Amino acid sequence: MVERLVTVRNSHGIHARPAAQIVKTTAKFTSHITITRDDLEVNAKSIMGVMMLAAECGAEIVLRADGVDETEALDALAAVIAAGFGEQ
Amino acid sequence: MGARASLPLNGIPASPGIVVGAAHLLRWEVPEVPTRVIPDEAIPAELERLNAALRKAVERLQYVRERAERTAGAAESAIFDVQISVIQDEELAGRVRLMIGQGFTAERAFDTVMVESREHFARSANAMMRERVGDLTDVHIRVLSVLLGLPDYDPVDLPKGANAILITHDLTPSLTLQLDRECIAAIATDAGTRTSHVAILARSLGLPAVVGLLDATTRIETGDRVILDGTAGTLLVRPTTAELSQADARSRAEALQRAQLAKVAGAEAITADGVRLTLRANVDLPDEVGTAATSGADGVGLMRTEFLVVGRASMPTEDEQYESYSNVIRAFDGRPVVIRTFDVGGDKLPVGGYPHEPNPFLGWRAIRMCLDEPELFKTQLRALLRAAVHGDVRIMLPLVVSVDEVRQARFLLEESARELAARGIAHRADIPLGVMIETPAAVLTADALAAEVAFFSIGTNDLVQYTLAVDRGNASLASRFTPLHPAVLRLIRRTVRVGADHGLDVSVCGEMASEPIMAFALIGLGVRTLSVAPLSVPAVKQIIRGIHTSVAAEAVTRACDAGTPAAAEAVLRAALEQELSENP
Repeated sequence: MVERLVTVRNSHGIHARPAAQIVKTTAKFTSHITITRDDLEVNAKSIMGVMMLAAECGAEIVLRADGVDETEALDALAAVIAAGFGEQ
Repeated sequence: MGARASLPLNGIPASPGIVVGAAHLLRWEVPEVPTRVIPDEAIPAELERLNAALRKAVERLQYVRERAERTAGAAESAIFDVQISVIQDEELAGRVRLMIGQGFTAERAFDTVMVESREHFARSANAMMRERVGDLTDVHIRVLSVLLGLPDYDPVDLPKGANAILITHDLTPSLTLQLDRECIAAIATDAGTRTSHVAILARSLGLPAVVGLLDATTRIETGDRVILDGTAGTLLVRPTTAELSQADARSRAEALQRAQLAKVAGAEAITADGVRLTLRANVDLPDEVGTAATSGADGVGLMRTEFLVVGRASMPTEDEQYESYSNVIRAFDGRPVVIRTFDVGGDKLPVGGYPHEPNPFLGWRAIRMCLDEPELFKTQLRALLRAAVHGDVRIMLPLVVSVDEVRQARFLLEESARELAARGIAHRADIPLGVMIETPAAVLTADALAAEVAFFSIGTNDLVQYTLAVDRGNASLASRFTPLHPAVLRLIRRTVRVGADHGLDVSVCGEMASEPIMAFALIGLGVRTLSVAPLSVPAVKQIIRGIHTSVAAEAVTRACDAGTPAAAEAVLRAALEQELSENP
């Protein structure tokens, strides 16, 4: 299992569209992937779960992946978050 | 057919014109789900029925999204991606499958899971989660409709040229995105008033509309022949042959009148006693710019910018706003364009973290929200400063109640200009800054405001609402929303006088100005710049050319002193009718 702490960078946080981008990204991998914020852990392949994070700009979240493609999965997920989902 | 009597329904006229067409009922509400159990051996088939329904709903949404992307743009259509992801959510589907495994039907299981999810999101302390309830409701309705074999109410299903009259409870943002003028000829809604979103949208699209029908959706079936009269505010369901030929005659007469008005478009807006007025157009949506530019209007008196943020999945960037503003400014080719900064509350923004308010019209909105969110506001101001190089742009601040709001806005405007200068980006720093006069507070302190701004623009709808304490969105109060109330007339008179004392231009940019009697009253009060919906420009021009400012001034003085709104209206109506009969 691999994990990484990242900070949400885009000014509007993980609202609806970024949540859709996250699940589109994680769906490409077979690993079990989760996102944890404080004491809430959600399945990163479930948009309902990701939307429940309600992570605003500056929120620190922990990404975890477990499976054969865990490293690639974590890199890809961290990259869309770091890119601010193509927003400002 | 002739044996059955027609059913007349009365609503509020929202957008003029008569249309005869077939009703298309858009019932966008969660359907009733019968509770039934299934035997164990039926479970595999029920699971497959769920899968098929989810696939069909996704296909449908992909089609809706592609269509919205073509008509409204990629940013707006992104909201459908979110809904697709919800339907494809394996955790959500897993909970539904679990219930089916316990012997519930697919629709009962899906309904239960969605009700729970919507409640969970709706009760969240976090506004970002609460904002998603609308999307979950859309998904709930769409999938259940497929499972229950209900008709697909989506307006996009209509063939081009269907000439349908859309009947719905209210237009939600995701439904609005899908309106297709090539198949929809008119709109009727249970909810709404003359100034609600659906009415403004209908007028800007040139679609006749009646709103505030209260229960039309329960009294009309899809396919019913309907006469919609957006001028009178009526709906005639299953009309008789005689009523149909009457409607035809009126429809032809209106077309003739429009043709005559089109000739007036090129004429000057001069009163019968030779006073020249400035007549501008209001622009609500980008696709109105063409109509506005050719309407004979002398520029834009009010460009609303709410379309940039309401009903979208994310905030527009500075570049996107710059493009939007520049398009309007270029279309008017040097004529003045007054652009109002965002006039919405936090709950309408596509950004999380803002609470819904019990009383939004007295709440955290417009200039209040913009000053508290300086980055959001400055993004808009930078885009405006950049777009201003293409023409004569003026910035207008909404809902101002105190001069310090103007000072803070000016500080942010100057800061925005410095930021652009530091980045070496072309812009114009000396844009005139004006305020909306739409609260009694602004009227009563107009002298203080006048010392700090370049112009006043009276927003009549809000001024009426805040003066009379009448919610303009409340259909039950529609008869109490009286713009000719002496209190309102006196406040406008006072504003015009203060403006004149300080040499400021005072305009009126509310819907009020597009009604003949209102235009007459405003001209009588000394207003010399009016801004109305593009389609109303020729009609208002014709009124202006038929009246004397001296007669209007005398009539409105008496109206200001009248005891009641009804008495004020009677005085003005009598004088206007006299004028128009003498100057046809």
